[in-house]
Amino acid sequence: MRWFHAMSAAALVLGVSTVGRSAEASPTREQYRLFRALSIDLQGRIPLAEEITAFEQPGFVLDAWIDQHLQGPAYAERLRRVYLDALRLEVGSMFNFVSNPLVLRRVAVLDPDGVPTYVYSRRGQRRDRVESDLDFCLSPDETGFTINGNGTLTGVSRPVDRAVWNQRTVEVRPWWLYRDYRSASPSQRITPGDGSAMQLSPVASLMLNADNVTPTTTIRVCREEAQTADRGQVYLSGRLTALPRTEPYPGGRTSAPPTDSAYARAHATDMVSCTSGAGVGLSDDCGCGIGLERCMPGNSLTNDPAAFNIPDNVPLGAEQPLDSRSQTQGDWVRFWWAQEAVHFLDDLFVRDRDVRGLLTDRGTMVNGATAQFHRSFAASTCCGNGTAFNYLEPVALFDPARVPADLTPHDLASWRRIEDRGPQAAGLLTTPIFLAKYGTRRARAHIVYNAFLCRQFVAENVALTPSTDPNLMTRSGCAACHASLEPLAAYFTRVSESGWTFLPADRFPAFNPACAPRAGASPNGNCTPFYDPAFGTATEGMLRGAYGSPAHADEGPAGLARSIVAAPEFASCVAQNVSESFLGRSLTAEDQPLQESLVTALQGNGFRMRALVRTLVRADAYRNANNLASGAWRAGVTP
Amino acid sequence: MDSRRRTFLKVLGGTAAAGFASQPLLRAFADPPVASDEFFVLIHAAGGWDVTLSLDPRNERRGIIEPGSTDTIDTAPIRLWRNAPLDADTNTFEMVRPAGSSLRLGPAIGNLADIADRLTIINGLAMNTVSHADGTFFAATGRHLAGGKPVAASIDTMLANEFGRESLLPTVSVGYPSTYVGNELDARVSPLRVSSVDTLSKMLARSNVNTTIADRQAVTALLSEESRELAENSWYRDEIEGFGLQFQALPRMLSPDVQSIFNAGALAMAQPGLFPSPGLRFQGRAGVNCAFAVEAMKRNLVRCVSFSSNSHDTHTNNYRSQPLIQQELFDTIASLVRALDAAPHPTRVGRRLADHTHILVVSDFCRTPQINLTMGRDHYPNGSALVISPKFVGNTSFGRADDDQLLPAIAGTFADGTRAVAPPDLLATFVAAFGVNPRKYLRDGDVIRSLLRA
Amino acid sequence: MKTTLQRAATALLLTLGCNSTPAPPLAVSPTDAGSVTSRPTQITPTPVTQIPGHELIAQDRAPKEPPRLMPAETLIRSYIALFGGLSPQALQTRLRGTTSDNLFDTWADYLSALGVPDYAVDIPRAPQTNALMLAAFERIGVALCERAVQNDLRGALAADRVLFRFDLPTPTRALTDDEFGARFDVLHRRVLGYPAALAPEGRIPRFRTLYRDAVTRHADAGARMFNGPEAGWASVCEGLVRHPEFHLY
Repeated sequence: MRWFHAMSAAALVLGVSTVGRSAEASPTREQYRLFRALSIDLQGRIPLAEEITAFEQPGFVLDAWIDQHLQGPAYAERLRRVYLDALRLEVGSMFNFVSNPLVLRRVAVLDPDGVPTYVYSRRGQRRDRVESDLDFCLSPDETGFTINGNGTLTGVSRPVDRAVWNQRTVEVRPWWLYRDYRSASPSQRITPGDGSAMQLSPVASLMLNADNVTPTTTIRVCREEAQTADRGQVYLSGRLTALPRTEPYPGGRTSAPPTDSAYARAHATDMVSCTSGAGVGLSDDCGCGIGLERCMPGNSLTNDPAAFNIPDNVPLGAEQPLDSRSQTQGDWVRFWWAQEAVHFLDDLFVRDRDVRGLLTDRGTMVNGATAQFHRSFAASTCCGNGTAFNYLEPVALFDPARVPADLTPHDLASWRRIEDRGPQAAGLLTTPIFLAKYGTRRARAHIVYNAFLCRQFVAENVALTPSTDPNLMTRSGCAACHASLEPLAAYFTRVSESGWTFLPADRFPAFNPACAPRAGASPNGNCTPFYDPAFGTATEGMLRGAYGSPAHADEGPAGLARSIVAAPEFASCVAQNVSESFLGRSLTAEDQPLQESLVTALQGNGFRMRALVRTLVRADAYRNANNLASGAWRAGVTP
Repeated sequence: MDSRRRTFLKVLGGTAAAGFASQPLLRAFADPPVASDEFFVLIHAAGGWDVTLSLDPRNERRGIIEPGSTDTIDTAPIRLWRNAPLDADTNTFEMVRPAGSSLRLGPAIGNLADIADRLTIINGLAMNTVSHADGTFFAATGRHLAGGKPVAASIDTMLANEFGRESLLPTVSVGYPSTYVGNELDARVSPLRVSSVDTLSKMLARSNVNTTIADRQAVTALLSEESRELAENSWYRDEIEGFGLQFQALPRMLSPDVQSIFNAGALAMAQPGLFPSPGLRFQGRAGVNCAFAVEAMKRNLVRCVSFSSNSHDTHTNNYRSQPLIQQELFDTIASLVRALDAAPHPTRVGRRLADHTHILVVSDFCRTPQINLTMGRDHYPNGSALVISPKFVGNTSFGRADDDQLLPAIAGTFADGTRAVAPPDLLATFVAAFGVNPRKYLRDGDVIRSLLRA
Repeated sequence: MKTTLQRAATALLLTLGCNSTPAPPLAVSPTDAGSVTSRPTQITPTPVTQIPGHELIAQDRAPKEPPRLMPAETLIRSYIALFGGLSPQALQTRLRGTTSDNLFDTWADYLSALGVPDYAVDIPRAPQTNALMLAAFERIGVALCERAVQNDLRGALAADRVLFRFDLPTPTRALTDDEFGARFDVLHRRVLGYPAALAPEGRIPRFRTLYRDAVTRHADAGARMFNGPEAGWASVCEGLVRHPEFHLY
């Protein structure tokens, strides 16, 4: 007997039937192999010694063991990996998230006693005096230095006059230092976390005063940034024309003071939201909120300053990081975007929700960091030229009112299910990480088509002929792919590219007479960011991306989700994705019966993934397969 | 016009032969010589480059083409940029015409202009896709994706399979779209995919405090034997045989000689020309990869080095940096060529590495001739490629894109008729240059004989 | 890689080739004569067990599947499980140790070589091994096993041992084949998940030789270096955690 024991050979005669084992028989090698494979796939590791011992017991029932392990975090992680491998829902620093209304940068100023003291401010803050409007709250004449565009300083610092100091700056106990920052007198100063991402851990420099020794208990912030109102009145400075460059600017500022925009002049009494980027740019009443919770800290004046210690590598999950280091405020936000997707997937698989929810679920998972983002940060990128359409307060993909008010940025380990983000929400498709990862309408549609229908756009091999047809659905050589892609991409018409700002139909109708292309004239500059002159008519402009299907544009990502999950390929694609991951190879035509059985299991059980995985791990291809050469099994048998 | 006519005639000459002689062609490849002294550097200019600034330059408004101009790009760091008026307050560039060369290049070509006599440029490549994934794999494998998956071996794998089976490292792939697909492939040539080459030295360090190298080698020898036995008794052997081969390679991998090529400091010391100061803004990693290629080839440790550059994907006003992204890449390639010129061949006494090293540079596709609303350029289904190889005719441009829309134009008569040149033709020509039958790996593509030296 | 059909065809040929009964004449199909001059006789399906000489031959009716590489995340978790179930960072601290013996760097240094995907920059997971990955397996395996030897075989109580859950004879003496085999089985079951007795028959002697050679090499080791049994068990451990059967499943 050369290769394995007679017991194994006997199993082969029986077709390696491992489903049942007689009470007395010891496991065969193939049965051990199967148990180990199941442990790897369902427990996320090889079996422990105790687990092997239990497996060897006569009464061990493998099916019961399987059912017991088709739940829990390891099982969820296994399935999550299938979809993250396909969707790759992380973005690196190439996706530069530096939203000026959010970022509090700091600079060391000499206080009235000549002590270097950090003062925090944000770029683009409206202030009610000409010396500092849209600039640092203390003028160069007051501090002795000017702040250059790249964050460097020019000049020699001098102590700031006490009256100016007291008038222009205030002390705050911010959220990144105090757990009870919302209380009237915060007192629960945090202890630096271990960087595990489960505990808030500001970078060391944020915890120290400018002397690099004294622990920071309060920070000094420009007065405007410390304001807490949710809404502010549009600010009118009265400046209608730019100051001529020939004169020195007030207070020694190096940039011209801003003038009042046409919008501000027309809406001088309007109240605007202080979470909207547009609002922050219009009102000097808008600050960072209670405990500065609408802003992120930064330890310098650089564009994307360091803020928190978080892990770089979390292949085993954020709860078990492999490392931790000082990272920027942008890194922090990106990290938690990715974690939202991780927890969204885990929750779906642990609770065995309908897998169609990957695309259609209006709910999501939030923790303190993502709650802060959806509540206070997401709108900061709105609305650009939207003011021309009177769009200053975005209709959110995740309604901030539905974010639990009691979740603070400190609640990092606490993930909570939100059942309904709002009418625009659609599974992963409206999460920030998806929209950031896939920045364009076409990229978004493409990955959905690929990951959830297991289909690819395959170009036809034709000669491309010169054409001026802007319609890629009909243009020669383009049509083969774009006839399918453009209607899918149109579902994302109302979600801005490289962002998540929603463009509602009441402000941005798919067909807009006000944005009709002007024959012989240059396009309306307010319209062109939103309306595509190539597809307008003489009487109306067409919203960008809608030409693939105006109806799809109005349905939004939720419409795409409905369309995809209703497609006959959806279930077979789920089966294909999961089985290819578990079997470690591509499915072939020979696997069609397996794939069909998995589809039946999925559809027959309300699209619950557990039924599919149970069927898969009991299938011959998984359970009864072996890799024994014919010579090996023959050699083990005594005739 | 003249140059276009010359190009067309060359195509006719080359492709007529291919068209007539598909059978003789196969016969000619029946016993391909194994040119195991050859080395290969395959570069993927990731993200889709704007060829109008370099390989297929355009400096006129014509049709839908809006040339690069002072309105849209940062010209200051572009050394070869010479203003040429575009309109009243905007300048485009003057063509770069290297001395003694008939090539017309764009200013982003950088130091490659100095070695124009060694450049073989393919323009008007019919990419037929604007999907990054599809274009990337089409350029590297000659096949579009099917069901989202590559269906053929990539060029580095093809070459490794022909010439690298005995190499310690047949292919080192740094983010290149390397694929290992096909029935003809040796288990040994599976690409060694790494995210960076210079951070791996720690992996190769060993401690001798508790145990010795003899202890570890004894374990490796045992595992090699175990792998052999397991493979013998396995129905599917590839994975386990792969283990065995890799166990056999391990002692060599752990030699100090090899460790030094995986160390950034050692590479910078060995190839300072590839580490300019101040450092490159976009393509610093390309320099590391090229230095690795030279040092690994000098030691005869690797057959193919393939890598992807930093991204050229500039849809928005980051397009302002597009020429700098290209210039840094082309400067790095020029430095690579100089380094290969200076390096002795590891096995051929008296020869330079440059005499036996072949460089192929491709991209996903190119970028739109129009400037979009956000001052960038989007994806466009045309492409260009660059070859620097002693097997190829230098100072040559083949294929073209049309004057008004930058679309691939007919390059000549191929076996399947008149059409534009496409990636399978380029790949077929590249492997055929070394006596490899293209049909062994490529379903499509004709060998363009006019590009090959006699 | 051959397809399952190709493999099956090969198997069929092998089966026919081993049949000791001469094949009957083949039937001719009248509708498909063409240029064929002799036609095969129709074969009546016959269970293989009814063919003389094949009554007891094993039939492997199981589908054939190639082994797949353990996902990198699972691999790291398995390392952690094998060596005490610490957190990754705590295990890293233990592996780095307090001395400058350069046994381990950081997990992050090895992730790329282990094939962990990096979604942020779209690097997919490695589906198969390569020479560098095996070098990483060795680097990590050596660190894990040598630390385990230091922890378990230098006076730890049996309950505190994480991997080498067995005693060594004291005073130190050479192990008999049976004594080695019993201890090897503990490790084999733990790492590869099944009893050593079910392994290919060459395995136990091969590992025994590995152990004994290491013991011999370290017979007169210096004070800092592992003594014979320590080096022997470290080698056995490394051989198992670097084994193809550990990484494939």
